[in-house]
Amino acid sequence: MQTGILRIKAKLQTGWIYPLLTAGYFFLVIAWFSSARAGTGTAPLSTWFVDMNQYTAAAHGSLKCEDCHGPMNSMKAPHPDPGAASFLKTRIKRDFDYQACQKCHKTAYKRFLKGEHAKAAAKEKLSGTPSKTGEAPNCGDCHSAHYSGSHLSRAQIGKQMTETCGACHPEQKRSFLADYHGKAAVNLGYDKAAFCTDCHGAHTTLSLKDKDVALNACRRCHFDATPEFANIIIHDSTKTIALKNETKKSSLKWIHWLGTLSLVFVVIVLVFFYMHTGLLMLRKLHKKLRRHK
Amino acid sequence: MDTNSNPRKHYQRFHVLHRILHIIIIVNFTFLAITGFLLYFSGFGWAGFWVSVMGGAGILGRVHRFCAVFLYMGILTHVSWLFYYKIVLKQKLSGPDSILPGKKDIKDMYQNLRYVFNKGTPPLFDRYSYLQKVDYWAVMLGMQTMGITGLMMWFPEAFTGIFPGYFINIAAHFHFHEAVLAVMYIGLVHMSDTHLVPDIFPMEKTIFTGKIEKKRFMEDHPEEWKRQQMMKD
Repeated sequence: MQTGILRIKAKLQTGWIYPLLTAGYFFLVIAWFSSARAGTGTAPLSTWFVDMNQYTAAAHGSLKCEDCHGPMNSMKAPHPDPGAASFLKTRIKRDFDYQACQKCHKTAYKRFLKGEHAKAAAKEKLSGTPSKTGEAPNCGDCHSAHYSGSHLSRAQIGKQMTETCGACHPEQKRSFLADYHGKAAVNLGYDKAAFCTDCHGAHTTLSLKDKDVALNACRRCHFDATPEFANIIIHDSTKTIALKNETKKSSLKWIHWLGTLSLVFVVIVLVFFYMHTGLLMLRKLHKKLRRHK
Repeated sequence: MDTNSNPRKHYQRFHVLHRILHIIIIVNFTFLAITGFLLYFSGFGWAGFWVSVMGGAGILGRVHRFCAVFLYMGILTHVSWLFYYKIVLKQKLSGPDSILPGKKDIKDMYQNLRYVFNKGTPPLFDRYSYLQKVDYWAVMLGMQTMGITGLMMWFPEAFTGIFPGYFINIAAHFHFHEAVLAVMYIGLVHMSDTHLVPDIFPMEKTIFTGKIEKKRFMEDHPEEWKRQQMMKD
């Protein structure tokens, strides 16, 4: 004698459910493996200890330690005392002399020295306190010397860059991802769209507050851009960016006001017609059911 | 009397041109909505997945623009037909057969809302009920806003020659809000009012076949029916 549940069970057990479940589990296992593999691709947290497996696979893998760190006895300094309280406590990225980078990356280093981040560093040195955004970055703050990947595609670099820049500029990252450029470039991996450095420059990191500089940045892709074109707002944010720029402030006010107005219009129209349709439908159903009684 | 003089069961309601245009709108509207919303909501994983399945952001953008042009050509065809109808065929665009909104529509809506609360009889519609007129004008006006704002985002270089830069941002807001309105209106209001109504369910075929049953003609468009019979007599 079979109850209802048992009968359903018997039906389900007829063959097709097992291949389906197997396929499902197989898919899950594959997905887990691929996500685990993807996880190893990102750089681990910076520590004093270098994972040599990852190091040799990364962009600088062919370099010897001494190529960047110099021979161990060059400073004529004694080996630090492992028992001392400050042992391995110094701040790695603040203490390393990144001039070593310019041995190979001459242009990038020159541009960095001319750029906004270097200016921020100089200001920080003068005043002694970091700016609101945070401590001025040096090479190592954006690039991982030991683990940065090589042969990455434009879209892969761009995605990493958005995270890197966004760590100190979260509002800029948020507004970029809400803009067409960010959506196409980062969310959809469309490599013809602009990433951070395509407008701001890789190592000069221009602020683009200056109209002419901004227009030049636009014209890299939009060849026919007019001066007014540079006033199209990419970073739609009033939090940190627009505070110093009066034109942008007033434009944003209009954008938000009219945007809200159109949203209110949409909601009113939809609410009216949904209620209208719903009520009419109930009435007609009522009439039909009554008629057939 | 009617049945004797007129044994037909079906009546012609829509010209073949309008049926074709309606299908053009359906196809392109669907593609536009799918591609547009996938691009807008690209931040969500499922949207990113479908975009990659469909060939990436570049292709999807091109499909969106192609369908937009195709759809707008349909609108232009309709507008030129209106001119042909008025100038060559010398027909009237106003009057009781017209799609133009009139005083009767407001009266009908009021009467319909009273009828919903069981206060009176349903309104007697002419050739187009007020809901059909809303459907028509939602498309006609909506396509103008979508067209203009879409062009502004397609050719920002040209439009910033005329307007300030932030107009492009406003156009983007309008384009998205209007898209939400269009999809939510067509998807729920237009679909329910035409197909889900108990007398018509499961499907209204008039716009595809062009023919309307005599019974439905008399029930849904009694004023037009009356006028037609009077003209025959």
